[in-house]
Amino acid sequence: MRHIRMRAAAVLAAVVAASAALAGCSSGSGEDDGVAKVTFWQQKFEDYQQAWFKKAVTDFNASQSKVKVELVVVPSDTWDQKLKAAQAAGTQPDVATTNYGRIVPGATEGQFAVLDDLMPASAFADIKDNVKGFVTVGGKHYGYPMLVEPSTVLYYRTDLATAAGLDPKSPPKTWAELLDWSRKLTTDKVKGMTIASNGIDLGWSSWGLQYNACGKLPIASDWSKAAANEACYKDLLDFYRTLYQEKLIPQQPKVGYPDAAPYGGGEVAMMANGSWAIGQLKNSFPQLIAKTAVAPFPSRDGDASKTTATLGGWTLTVDSKSKQPKAAGEFINWLLAGDAKLMSSFFKQSGYSKFTVRKSVDADLATDADATADPFMKIIAEKIVPQGKSEPNYPWDVSLAMGTAIESAMKGTATVDAALQTADKAINTVIEKQALAGKQPK
Amino acid sequence: MQRTAKHLRSGLTAYLMIAPMVILLGIFVFWPLIYSIYLSMHRISFYKDPAFVGFDFYKYVLTDPNFWDTMLTGLKYALFVVPTGIVIALIVATFLKNLNGRPASIMKTTVYVPTVVSSVVASIIFLFIYQDEGLANWFMGFLGVEAVNWLNSPGLALPAIAVPGVWLGLGISTLILLAAMHDIPANYYEAAALDGASAWQRMRYITLPNLKNVLLYLFVTGFTLAIQEFQLPLIMTNGGPVNATTTPNLFIFRSFRDNTEYATSFSLAASLLLFVALGLISLLIFKLVKSDKALDS
Repeated sequence: MRHIRMRAAAVLAAVVAASAALAGCSSGSGEDDGVAKVTFWQQKFEDYQQAWFKKAVTDFNASQSKVKVELVVVPSDTWDQKLKAAQAAGTQPDVATTNYGRIVPGATEGQFAVLDDLMPASAFADIKDNVKGFVTVGGKHYGYPMLVEPSTVLYYRTDLATAAGLDPKSPPKTWAELLDWSRKLTTDKVKGMTIASNGIDLGWSSWGLQYNACGKLPIASDWSKAAANEACYKDLLDFYRTLYQEKLIPQQPKVGYPDAAPYGGGEVAMMANGSWAIGQLKNSFPQLIAKTAVAPFPSRDGDASKTTATLGGWTLTVDSKSKQPKAAGEFINWLLAGDAKLMSSFFKQSGYSKFTVRKSVDADLATDADATADPFMKIIAEKIVPQGKSEPNYPWDVSLAMGTAIESAMKGTATVDAALQTADKAINTVIEKQALAGKQPK
Repeated sequence: MQRTAKHLRSGLTAYLMIAPMVILLGIFVFWPLIYSIYLSMHRISFYKDPAFVGFDFYKYVLTDPNFWDTMLTGLKYALFVVPTGIVIALIVATFLKNLNGRPASIMKTTVYVPTVVSSVVASIIFLFIYQDEGLANWFMGFLGVEAVNWLNSPGLALPAIAVPGVWLGLGISTLILLAAMHDIPANYYEAAALDGASAWQRMRYITLPNLKNVLLYLFVTGFTLAIQEFQLPLIMTNGGPVNATTTPNLFIFRSFRDNTEYATSFSLAASLLLFVALGLISLLIFKLVKSDKALDS
């Protein structure tokens, strides 16, 4: 009996010791010996971004002794569930990367701290006017923007265009011309182009083209009812359907829309992709750079002043439950709003595939010979970014309904009319169940 | 009196023996279940107090056509995988039963290998097989048929992901059936042979009736597992094309990932309704295939 008791006591001691060890291993914000600990979750992007953030955090920690930032890189495909689980457990990060579309709903729910209380006013004065609205709700800033990147840019192979009898100096300007180019560039081994073809990718990558088709997104401006079942969207679905049904794009794409590998690997002659693809091409397929040109994605009627791309991008936000909001604000101020040369170094490493949101960084980049000479940067900055619109901030289910409608039309599971009717109905259901009417943030 | 005390003592010992399991079940099954039911009746935000909404989320799930579509997809997937898997396992087990010595050991190991392969690895292997230039299309070309769009065609994607589903479950089903076959008394077959019964008649009138309980077990567990399949559609098709491979669990997972106040309770209500549906399906299978005691008991 005594033996059993001793064994039970040993097991209990082991459990207590293990729990204590695990508790010691767990990270969290707070204060330790007068040093404010700040956890920073960075969503994993291209490799150079992880390296840049890691170096920046190390430099920040070395530059002072009052705040210690702990960087955690989280893969993007697990971000949502990991963050949600952390929020449920009360272990959410103090600072996190947040996209523009999430700022308004997050601020409305009370997820983010107001940054105006944590950062100097001069930091916000440096933000470009067309981006300020992306992070502002009710006159207050809930995120500090890092960059913008247009979601849709046309990339094309100049050598293949010339070989097909097309003039690479005069890229397609309408959807009809783009279809014509795709047909001429399609051969037995190379498809004319690549574009999103599954509902999830289409849900967000087609926002710019939805604007282009109808001048608006498929929901009433006050979110009171759906507006997907409109004739102007038929052209959009027909455009995608033709690309797929005529086999002008890969029928079984190996990667998602944001990945430029099929273009880099020579499987396609043209590519619709975000500006971020330039970084991938420069790093992984440098031999293609001399044979590649970029242009604004064609518009429905050829009017280049109409948007074909939304301006996506990332901000840093401070959680409203953070125990160290001031220290978190100091870190964001140092990283994103401080020395312009620090952010310039980020854009240089990105291969100028992303665009600054700060006037002072623009001025610094103007002195960089590589930046001013970059042919892609000039076209995107001058012809695409100015026409770009912000991403919608309604629930994702609305975007997914439209993405699924486009995919249904492409793959023939529904006619264009039926697909739009289904999307309209699905969006109205989201509006009803999530009580969206009248909730459109002003 | 002494007998009662002894009875109580033995009862106490039994309760003590099952106490750890009951406590663990309470912590890891019953409490989460009760808490899930409680949460599913609230609109949850991690930054605001939860708001009680009663059965609203159950109504939303039950009136959501996507939920019913995914249930149908799960059922179709189970219908592709379970009967096919059991028939193939039965054939392989019959073949293995007649093997002896080293060849039998080698074949048993070979058949069991897929069971220890991770479904993530299997998904990736089959992704390569189904690619435009993959093995499946090479075979179609060999037969003189045009390349098939296996994973991006709404009509073909579900059967295509059912193939690795069958492959992964084949080993364990085969070994269970083989073990059950070895339990059937040999004299049944000897008597049948004396009466001149054919191989099919021996299978029909001896093997299958004696395997009834094992087959019931394989059907019930196979169906409940197959309807809940998650990894294969997530990795191979991400639920597409046009939601053709969105199984109930994938639908719930996607709902949970959504970061609106609506999403968490919606996915909880959908999970609990799936739990009820799986219970009903199991009950239906039990009713259809009545279990009996073994024929020789």
